[in-house]
Amino acid sequence: MTARAQPAPALKRTWSSIFETGRGARIYPYLMVLPAVVIVVGVVVYPVVSGILSAFFDVTLRTLNSGDMPFVGFRNFQRVFADPSFGLASFNTFVWVVLNVVAQLGFGLALALLLHRIVPGIGFFRSGILVPWVVPSVVAVLTWRWMYDPSVGIVNEILVRLGIIDAYHPWLGDTATSLYAVTVESIWKGTPFVMLLLLAALQLVPKSILEAASMDGASGWRKLWYVILPQIRVSFAIAAVLTFILTVNNFNAIWLMTEGGPLNSSEILFTLAYKYGFQRYDLGMASAVATMLFVGLVIATTLYLKLIQASEGD
Amino acid sequence: MTSLTIPESTARTPDLSAPLRRSWTPKWARTSFLYVGLWVAFVWSVFPFYWMIATSLRAKDEIFARPPGIIPHSFTFQNYIDLLVGAEFWRYALNSLILTISVTVISVLISVTAGYAMARHRFKGSVALPLFMLYGQMFPPVLLLIPFYIQLRWLGWLDSLYGLIPVYLSYMLPLCVWLMRGFFSQVPHSLEDAARMDGCTRWQAFWRVILPMARPGIVAVATWVMIHTWNEFLYASTFILSDKNRTLPLGLSGLIGQYTTDWGVLMAGGVITAAPILIVFFFLQKHLVAGVGGGAVKG
Repeated sequence: MTARAQPAPALKRTWSSIFETGRGARIYPYLMVLPAVVIVVGVVVYPVVSGILSAFFDVTLRTLNSGDMPFVGFRNFQRVFADPSFGLASFNTFVWVVLNVVAQLGFGLALALLLHRIVPGIGFFRSGILVPWVVPSVVAVLTWRWMYDPSVGIVNEILVRLGIIDAYHPWLGDTATSLYAVTVESIWKGTPFVMLLLLAALQLVPKSILEAASMDGASGWRKLWYVILPQIRVSFAIAAVLTFILTVNNFNAIWLMTEGGPLNSSEILFTLAYKYGFQRYDLGMASAVATMLFVGLVIATTLYLKLIQASEGD
Repeated sequence: MTSLTIPESTARTPDLSAPLRRSWTPKWARTSFLYVGLWVAFVWSVFPFYWMIATSLRAKDEIFARPPGIIPHSFTFQNYIDLLVGAEFWRYALNSLILTISVTVISVLISVTAGYAMARHRFKGSVALPLFMLYGQMFPPVLLLIPFYIQLRWLGWLDSLYGLIPVYLSYMLPLCVWLMRGFFSQVPHSLEDAARMDGCTRWQAFWRVILPMARPGIVAVATWVMIHTWNEFLYASTFILSDKNRTLPLGLSGLIGQYTTDWGVLMAGGVITAAPILIVFFFLQKHLVAGVGGGAVKG
């Protein structure tokens, strides 16, 4: 009220009035964006470019100390391909990603459908099922490592009592089971997030469509397949892409349970690159693996987003 | 089988509020099936969390008893006392706290201004920039790890908490900007126009009108940054070398021994590390429910 009565503030020169008109008004948005852009260029763009570049140079502790890093072309890649553990890690990454994505999307959808119903006590179940998502990942992984303990672990005890196994098994110490044991933890941790995404999508499905389907005599499964899934298709695809990215980049689960062992049986490309870089200190080789992962991630994500857009078109 | 049930189900149920009706199974069977499913999912989700707390409250001889009992026989806080008596744990917690606060403050300040400008103003790159920010979140950390290591080493910032701040910003800031932009574009234009008509400068309109409106969004973004910084392990474990600079997740993983591990103390540490996250989560939900909308345009 008082501001309207006296027109003075518009004329008073304050430090901010230079941004009101003319050139000041034009540069104002740039000034506001500038800090974020500078930091992102400094800590994201520059490192990504320099990380890809260092895949083509001989970067080790020795060359870092001398300051002279020779260009070696594709030799880092050749050395990576010659390493037998790279083949194993690639295969493991494939298994790891497929199992995680399929299981998390499947269980996530099942949980979302269960939790979508409004029944007494649903809030209790919802908050309980979100627990794995809320627990810090390091804490979760260490807890699972304890549960997998070969001599007094509760997982062994439960499986023995259920009659599934006869004797305690070193799940993380056996080359045949280590990757799958870690996968179970990862599925446990990741499913609630997928569930949240899909639950939000389910709640946007119009009730009228479901009612129409019921009137036409569609059974539960047919309704799920022909009505609900097409409706939540976009969210489902987004959940798939996110799960894919998070799984490829899931370092904590594998590193804190097995460190990729025993005998590289649970090694994925991420942990392999980490070992090249920070155990052997051959940063060039590590960058080569990381660059391949990066290219794979970008291609897969772009392809998937294109697929979604294409299916949106018709 | 389905075709037989159609006339019956439509005739018997004029009430269409139960959309997923399968009429060949009785209602009580479907309800109990639903609850069995819910209970299985609940136990599966909560059990490891329960087991962590249960282990942290047991005496050492009970933890290593074979076979392990699912329900503890006796409760003791000895593991917590063992954990908290030493100076290390407090140091780790303090390091985590310092790091979390600085990263949160910096990324919220920077992403608020950038997100606002992207949502409100048209300028060169106002469309491409947000998308680029979203892409920035996709980059695999292992690719960033190596250049960061080389740079921090060159700057002499390895093994320091302040060296971790730019590293964490790379991991937080792009998504923060993207989220903030989303929240600001939900605040109605008319509010800002009204404030400007009343004689506010750009800055006053932003500070007094827009910012309070976007508060739930800011709280959500800040919470997201806090949780992720508090939990971060990969960068900290690579760049922190000395014991005194460790963060909580790093300190926890350091409790794993080469030959034996004191799981009671470790699980007590896990409970204490997880507790702030659970508390923050509780408050986040309250804020989000109370803040969104607000009816400021109507009033």
